[in-house]
Amino acid sequence: MTVFTALFSHYRRHPWQGTALALLMLLATALWTGIHHLTSQARDSLGQSERLVEVREQVQRVDGAALTVEDFVLLRRQGLCVMPWLEVLPEGQSRRVIGVDPLAALCFQGQADVASFDGQPLVGQPFLDIADAAALTAAEQQLFLILAAGEGPLPSAYRTAPFALSPDTGQLGDSFLLNLDALSVLVLLITGLLLRSVYLLSLSQRRDSFALLARLGVSGRRVRGHLLLELLCLAALTLIPGIWLGQALASVLEGGFTNVMEGLFDSRQLATGGNHWRVPALVMTVLLLAVAMVDWLMPMVARATPGNRLRPAAATLLVLVGLAGVWLANALWLLFVALALVLAGIGWLMPRGLSLLSGAGVRASAQPGWRWWWAEFGVLCRRLALPLVALQFSLAMVLAVQALVITFEDTFDRWLSQRLSADVYVQVPEGADSALAANWLTEHLPSADEGLWHHVQRGSGRFRHGQAWQDVDIFAVTPVGPLMTGWGLLEQTSQPWQTLASGAGVMVNEQLAYRLGLSVGEELELVLAEQALKLPVLGIYPDYGRPAGEVLIAGQILPADFEVTFESFSISPASVPIETITDALRALWAEPALTIRDNRAIQDLANRVFEQTFMLTRAMTVLTLALAAVALLLMGWVFLSTRLWYFRLLEVWGMTKAEIFRKLLLLALAVTLSAAALALPLGVGLTWVLVQHINPLAFGWSLPMAVYPVFWLELLALALLIGGCIALLMRRQLGRPAVRPSVTGSVTGEER
Amino acid sequence: MRLRWLTMMLVYGLLAGCSEPGTDAGFAGLGGTAGPDDGFEQPGPGTELVFPRDFGPHPAHRIEWWYLTANLETDTGEPLGLQWTQFRQAIESRDDESPSPEPSGWPLQAAWMAHAAVSYREQHWFGERLARGYLGQAGATAEPFQVWLDHWQLTTGESPDQWLVQVSHGQPDTEDYWAFDLELTVRGAPVAHGVDGFSAKSASGEGSMYFSLVDIEVTGQVRLGRETLPVRGKAWFDREWSSQFLKAGQQGWDWFALHLDSGDKLMAFQLREQQDHFRSGTWIPAGGEPIALAPGQLQLEPGTGAEPVPTRWRLAVPDHDIDLTLSAPPGNYTNDGLYPYWESPVTVTGSHEGVGYMELTGYSEP
Repeated sequence: MTVFTALFSHYRRHPWQGTALALLMLLATALWTGIHHLTSQARDSLGQSERLVEVREQVQRVDGAALTVEDFVLLRRQGLCVMPWLEVLPEGQSRRVIGVDPLAALCFQGQADVASFDGQPLVGQPFLDIADAAALTAAEQQLFLILAAGEGPLPSAYRTAPFALSPDTGQLGDSFLLNLDALSVLVLLITGLLLRSVYLLSLSQRRDSFALLARLGVSGRRVRGHLLLELLCLAALTLIPGIWLGQALASVLEGGFTNVMEGLFDSRQLATGGNHWRVPALVMTVLLLAVAMVDWLMPMVARATPGNRLRPAAATLLVLVGLAGVWLANALWLLFVALALVLAGIGWLMPRGLSLLSGAGVRASAQPGWRWWWAEFGVLCRRLALPLVALQFSLAMVLAVQALVITFEDTFDRWLSQRLSADVYVQVPEGADSALAANWLTEHLPSADEGLWHHVQRGSGRFRHGQAWQDVDIFAVTPVGPLMTGWGLLEQTSQPWQTLASGAGVMVNEQLAYRLGLSVGEELELVLAEQALKLPVLGIYPDYGRPAGEVLIAGQILPADFEVTFESFSISPASVPIETITDALRALWAEPALTIRDNRAIQDLANRVFEQTFMLTRAMTVLTLALAAVALLLMGWVFLSTRLWYFRLLEVWGMTKAEIFRKLLLLALAVTLSAAALALPLGVGLTWVLVQHINPLAFGWSLPMAVYPVFWLELLALALLIGGCIALLMRRQLGRPAVRPSVTGSVTGEER
Repeated sequence: MRLRWLTMMLVYGLLAGCSEPGTDAGFAGLGGTAGPDDGFEQPGPGTELVFPRDFGPHPAHRIEWWYLTANLETDTGEPLGLQWTQFRQAIESRDDESPSPEPSGWPLQAAWMAHAAVSYREQHWFGERLARGYLGQAGATAEPFQVWLDHWQLTTGESPDQWLVQVSHGQPDTEDYWAFDLELTVRGAPVAHGVDGFSAKSASGEGSMYFSLVDIEVTGQVRLGRETLPVRGKAWFDREWSSQFLKAGQQGWDWFALHLDSGDKLMAFQLREQQDHFRSGTWIPAGGEPIALAPGQLQLEPGTGAEPVPTRWRLAVPDHDIDLTLSAPPGNYTNDGLYPYWESPVTVTGSHEGVGYMELTGYSEP
């Protein structure tokens, strides 16, 4: 018999252990593959939405007439790369659809891919083939012609204008992806913990075999080499089905979003597109090897690790250093290192803490039954330390992701509402007199009954920062009215909008406040077109779209010679129809072609494309939690099987089977509930770090922190469910005959 | 809705070819079986050619193309190859009499694709354009004869035998820009291939209407980057239409059009099948009547050319004492569009000398 067959015979004798190890590896691979797949999809879909909202150029007719298919043909026959974009509001529906022509989009990138636009797939709603969109009975319909970048001069009857579907969300998207990456790393850590726990369990149950081999003269090095080989074989066997399962799982989860994905192209493209299997295969192999190789380094680790008594102190020190790092970190990488230290410390402390709790329980219990229960609780916590930590981390992650996704959703929604507060936005054409329009609007829209409006002027000014002067964006609004006052402010003085409207103060965006350490009430020295101003900060408003600092002022304090680089009117019509307003503006400015943006349509579209991203993210956390639960279930089952002898003893001592089961149920519930309870503060902390700490470091602004106690209760209930399942599995085991643990059991289950 | 898009994606496959040789539909899906009730007309041995009508489109047929290849020389005598092609693929059949759909509905009854390429000094420039039909963005008319997609076009000049071909790709005054502007003088009558223009593509009767203009004199200029090259030489023009082009199982074809120094012309092709190949061709002696070549009269074997396709071939017609070696110049002449295929000039040696063009489709990695 060779060493390999001798080692492998263990699994012949204990097939369930081999199966459990393979199953966990398979599930872990599936998890990571699924996560990787979903993360990639979330990244792609966010990329797509960002592409959609990117500012482009469109073609307009100089005579102001609506564009037709003839204009499209004329421009294409001139060799210009234009693409039709037909926005249709179907009759009786509230959501718009967009008709596109992928054939015409080919020239946008010159690549052989008709299914994309600027390299981004035109996937799912709201996109339709333009023929189908044109065939709908439309309540409203407008044709845009989008012009590719760098196209030559237009014929004289046409001109270009900006074309944007919504404000630039680049930074918000980047932030979301950064957080997603951080969570993916955490998932990898959890997967590693689970693999390690299963690996250790299998090793401990084979120590007798190892001892026998050592006595027969087989060196430890050789045994380790064979174990590594065995592990690689196992990996080869489980990786492929694991990856397949992961992709299948991801596609099933995506399948739930068919209403989002269905449309232009086959949704299978999303489930199977790309080479998402290579990275998971590589990552899982490396992870598996790392999990096994740690043992090779154990002698070194053991020498460097403090003794038993010092370990809790060392773990506490890790947590404290990590927390201090999280608090003080001024670079992203430092923050991630500090976060890793905190997690490592908590992972180390958690089983020890529960063990201490069990010791206290033993001492405090007078009744022998309960003393036994507390002692058994301590053993369970020590022996199931790794899967318990994995469950704790998974629960914490689920909690953080839930909070993060809700926060992002709220923020997107609020921010879009803030930026698109008016129904319609009309750009002031170059050379046109905005005062004419302002006078007309003052006269015809005097109150909210007729409609709301304000005039936006943008330009550049300077502010004093220490001894130096720096440029800053100026955002002036006249009048400061209900379209603005609904904005949520992060900090504010009393009656900030009234004061702003009177010109007696300014507001700054969060980026500027963060950079300068400004808070409300402080004075800001500004220079606008050589005119010096010193005004208090009345409020700090969130601004997620871009990194630049911005100062919001009332239009009346702008000096007459201030150079306005951009002007527009935001209008929410009420009794006066929008057509009346836009016709009047056209006449006043003698400008037939106005750039008019329908903000409601833009907001609707932007929300729908972001929905897709969030759904995929939620799916990712569900997978992680499922794996952690299955792992704990398996480990608990395998481990508790080795403790059956002691439960039998309880029967010998006179307890009924029902009483034993109750004790067992209580044990399992207590263990999983402890992990969940300890996960709550960790999850809240993780959320805080993600939204309040990583974002300011990366982008200069933070997201609002929110907690969701109902979701905590759901997680606790889930933990109880897992505990209940373990107990039920054990109940079956209790009905079977049990033998006294053999010597092999001495290293696993004989501890008292 | 999805069905419609799948149909459309299928169209792209039909237009330019799915390059998976193992499928029954073959290259470009041209071997896909036409349904009996799909409304498309299928030409057969009795179908007649009618001029000038047949220079224009055939909406009752599923697919057709206008194909121009040219073997040119620059003023320094360097060879330069050139291709312009336009395809039409019907999605819904329409008889010649029924009115065209309204452009305002952005109809998707037909899709058009244009290819253009220049081969010079071992380099290959290729461009591709797509459009839906019946908008005006792409189309063709018989009188006056013109074919266009966007600003790429073939138009008739002052007389019916004077043609102009204009193509440009990329932004002018950039290194990537290339263009050609050619004047074509058409000589001789159209050459009908096969049986009075019906060119069989398999022993079981699939085929297409196919005629060529084989004697075209070309002058003009080609722009590559910032360099302008005056060119002159000869061209070959093909017109072909069908509704069931290939037989199921045929994977692709190897097609050759040759101008021999003797003044003779030769067109030959083979359709590759798993077991056997179907060959056909036309021998056009200088000053004589075209002679259709039966499958058994043609020998066509690939040589040991470099990857990704055989770039050296032996073509023989023993009945006419023809034994030729055809060689593509060094370089990669893949038209790397939606579905790639090989299109390169060739030089002819052996029993005759000359130049020509070679098209190879349906190879896994052309």
